[in-house]
Amino acid sequence: MGKALFHVLVAAMLVFLLAPVLLVIPMSFSADKVLAWPPSGFSLKWYAAMLEERGLAEAARNSLVLALVVTTATLAIAMPAALAIDRWRFAGRDAILALLTAPLLLPTIVLALALLIIFVGAGLLGTWPGLVLAHMLVTLPYGVRVLSTSLSTLPASVEEAAASLGAPPSSVFRRVTLPLMVPGLVATCAIVFLVSFDEVVISLFIVGPQLVTLPVALFRYVESRTDPLVAAVSTLLVVFTLAIVLILDRAVGLRRAVGK
Amino acid sequence: MSDAHLVLEALEKRFGAGPPAVAALSLAVQKGELLGLLGPSGCGKTTTLRMIGGLAEATAGRILVAGHDVTTLPPHKRDMGIVFQNYALFPHMDVAGNVAFGLEMRKQSRAEIAAKVERALAMVHLDGLGHRRPRELSGGQQQRVALARALVIEPSILLLDEPLSNLDAKLREEMRTEIRDIQKRLGITTIFVTHDQVEALAMCDRIAVMRAGSLEQLGTPFDIYESPATPFVADFVGRINRLDGARDGDGDILAGPLRLRAAKPGPAGRVTVMMRPHRLHIATDAIGPEWNSAAGTIRRATYVGDVLACEVDCAGAMLTVERHTHPGQPIPREGEAVNLAWRVSDTLAFDA
Ligand SMILES: Nc1ncnc2c1ncn2[C@@H]1O[C@H](COP(=O)(O)OP(=O)(O)O)[C@@H](O)[C@H]1O
Ligand SMILES: [Mg+2]
Repeated sequence: MGKALFHVLVAAMLVFLLAPVLLVIPMSFSADKVLAWPPSGFSLKWYAAMLEERGLAEAARNSLVLALVVTTATLAIAMPAALAIDRWRFAGRDAILALLTAPLLLPTIVLALALLIIFVGAGLLGTWPGLVLAHMLVTLPYGVRVLSTSLSTLPASVEEAAASLGAPPSSVFRRVTLPLMVPGLVATCAIVFLVSFDEVVISLFIVGPQLVTLPVALFRYVESRTDPLVAAVSTLLVVFTLAIVLILDRAVGLRRAVGK
Repeated sequence: MSDAHLVLEALEKRFGAGPPAVAALSLAVQKGELLGLLGPSGCGKTTTLRMIGGLAEATAGRILVAGHDVTTLPPHKRDMGIVFQNYALFPHMDVAGNVAFGLEMRKQSRAEIAAKVERALAMVHLDGLGHRRPRELSGGQQQRVALARALVIEPSILLLDEPLSNLDAKLREEMRTEIRDIQKRLGITTIFVTHDQVEALAMCDRIAVMRAGSLEQLGTPFDIYESPATPFVADFVGRINRLDGARDGDGDILAGPLRLRAAKPGPAGRVTVMMRPHRLHIATDAIGPEWNSAAGTIRRATYVGDVLACEVDCAGAMLTVERHTHPGQPIPREGEAVNLAWRVSDTLAFDA
């Protein structure tokens, strides 16, 4: 009885969380001129129309490149930071961890305004370096958090065993620490990539006429038009996101099952 | 002790303020000797082992191996094989990969490594399991992999941290003899950490009993068991009866209602008297001058198959007697009056 109730509750919660996403999919196949539920007929015309939208395609490419650059740069900084935080009990360790987490707690709109003010002076508005920097402000805390959590679950004695067997610190890292961190690294990449790819609030303030990201382009599109084209784009985004998650899950799972 | 293989000189480890985890620990271990570090949980055994292996920095003192000071040498230069309490196998490598790791670090040839790995796995009876992952092995098998991995590099010193504590009782006894055999055959100087006195007595050439970071007694299993230096050691290395009393000018000890004599003489004053339960007998007639005796009433008799334990109330002093069981002998009844007797040489007295 209690169990049945629990299942009903879980199902209700899933519907509540996923319904908006699932609604978008049938809507993307609408034959109507405006977003309306239920569609009066179905067609693929909005997918065709999407391909005609030059601005959106350009923005999608920008977002993809940006997310890749941000992921790489975040990893390059978060990895040593997480190692230092996990391994060394240095003075100010807690302060640094708190500082790195702070952007997660601040209202994003405040961050965006602050960045706008700074970037105007520095000439970074509407530039690639500006966007990368702004996104990293949000992705770094995620990166450091996820990586240091994955490091803290790694037993120190395994590395000590390697050292006692004659491995100098560099070999311990290459042969033991790094391979054991792969699942954490993959998870970090996935999260950071998606956070950057999805970022809209800060991007809205930072993008320029020559450089627009996909979420911003979509946001502007729905401001002026209400046709089901955005539903088609959204459906593709859902599929793309799911694909990333699935591929990475497979990659980690496979590595664990097969690889050295 | 100039030919000692491993020497600890006034070794100390502090973690922040408070009493040190290991204090002024001095030991000399001979080449090929198996030395046990025995003590209750938290007495500093692991910390001592970690300092020897270079995994923890000593805050004072020195560590010498074959006369060379290695106190500040990093672990990868110490050439010591360590078996960790949780085995610490590499989960991302198979069994052969785990065992080969130390040889690869020593830049040995592929052929050489393959041959040595095979021999090491055979030595611990794991032939044919080289391609298994650690998590596909039982606790006992993982323990053997850890041992093979530590031994295959032919380290100058082998350090074992409670390697048997995660195994069930039967396997633990098997592994005891196996580890001891391998250690003897290879003649490798070994430190064996354990909190299990039976394990220490059964396996070690000598035992260092530790208490709260300090060395309490160093000696052979026989010394430790028969001539404990302190009540702590006597209590820790086996079950024991304990009475508090006082020694008079004649050397007689008055412990409550009992008048006893002890193995060794001592000055007058407060003493603690201790006797092992199996050295006490329910007396028939063999009472002589070299015996202590006491009259009492059986309060409880516990039969556990091979051993019968009786708690005897000797006018307020509770003494436990243990004897092996025989099918012909009846189990004493509670409330039965008995005479207890034990040898003066089995009566340990410690000045309080
Ligand atoms: N890394 C550490 N930081 C602080 N205290 C420690 C650390 N390691 C051990 N200790 C303390 O040192 C003492 C000895 O610990 P340990 O050597 O692990 O004991 P044992 O192995 O005999 O059970 C304990 O009181 C323990 O709490
Ligand atoms: Mg320990």
